[in-house]
Amino acid sequence: MTEHSNPVQELWQSQPLEGIKVSLEEIRRRAGKFERRILWRNRRETAACVLTCVLFVYFMHGAPSLWFRISYGLFIAGMIWVAVQLHRKASARSLPAEMGASGALQFFRGELERQRNSIRNVWPWYLAPTVPGYIVLNIAWAMARPQHRWALVGFDVFVVALFVGVWKLNQWGARCLQRKIDELNAASNE
Amino acid sequence: MSAIEAIPVAAASEQDELYQEAAHAHGAALERLARAYEADAELRRDLLQEIHVALWRSFNGFDRRCSLRTWIYRVAHNVAASHVLRERRANAQTLVGLEELEQLPDANRGPAAADRSHALNRLLELIQRLKPLDRNVILAYLEGMDAASIAEISGLSPGNVATKIHRIKQVLARQFQQRAVPAGPVRAEEAHD
Repeated sequence: MTEHSNPVQELWQSQPLEGIKVSLEEIRRRAGKFERRILWRNRRETAACVLTCVLFVYFMHGAPSLWFRISYGLFIAGMIWVAVQLHRKASARSLPAEMGASGALQFFRGELERQRNSIRNVWPWYLAPTVPGYIVLNIAWAMARPQHRWALVGFDVFVVALFVGVWKLNQWGARCLQRKIDELNAASNE
Repeated sequence: MSAIEAIPVAAASEQDELYQEAAHAHGAALERLARAYEADAELRRDLLQEIHVALWRSFNGFDRRCSLRTWIYRVAHNVAASHVLRERRANAQTLVGLEELEQLPDANRGPAAADRSHALNRLLELIQRLKPLDRNVILAYLEGMDAASIAEISGLSPGNVATKIHRIKQVLARQFQQRAVPAGPVRAEEAHD
């Protein structure tokens, strides 16, 4: 790698460097820090999920009717589903050993596909799990306070618009990523 | 920061030994690679450390199905490409392919081109404008690797790599003709930071 067949290669290889060296202690420290960060993130997500579930269980106990209790139960199930999916997606991230086993093309395409799938499928794993609980909660409120049904409809329209907005934004992001993947595929087939 | 030589080799595991071998043989090339992927000095140091950590962690799963050099460059390029993906969200710089780079005007006009340090800065600017995959190929080429090694690192077919190298040579010939790269060392303070 020290043969210079042209002056630009020679220019590149002879450029002055800072000579940065990283000690093994420093590497172990940083690797440990990284592992701890992942551990704490997982703990935080689990704690948030448990806390929300505890809150809904508390609501369930004080709920005025069976419909409310069912809705809170569905919210708990939805929360657990989202937490499990979040954990699975976080575990699917590329590990350094995988980086060495695949070439740049495969790695880069894999990263883009992972990001695309994550946002393209936002509906089934992130938005949909809360829908059953929300629908039953609506029924519960409509039965408990029939005089406020128009306010409820107004709020529902807002929530549906929010869900559709998030979904559309993610679909747009997925299309941008797909264009990059197509570019890579075209480049690899040239 | 203490040097890696300070670690007693006898106490090191195979993972540590592989890392030390990699850092010793390819440390300079990794630093050049980090420079090609990150212009900001502070972020570049972070990126280089990230590459070293990823390299050390990767040796835990090194299966020797490819050469040590190929493994090192794959990990380093893939960490750097992830860095580019992350940082591009922060600075919306448009990256181009080799094809677009061929359309750039000839840079061999003006007094700046005659200076070696300016030539190096110009080379860095060109590389930093490239999309990660093309950057991968040009860097491996500049490190003096042959088409087969570049294909192994990049994951592209040898034919595709040959086409890209042909384009790279054309771009470099246009941008850095022999007279534009004067002989002699570049002083550290002149180099791109």
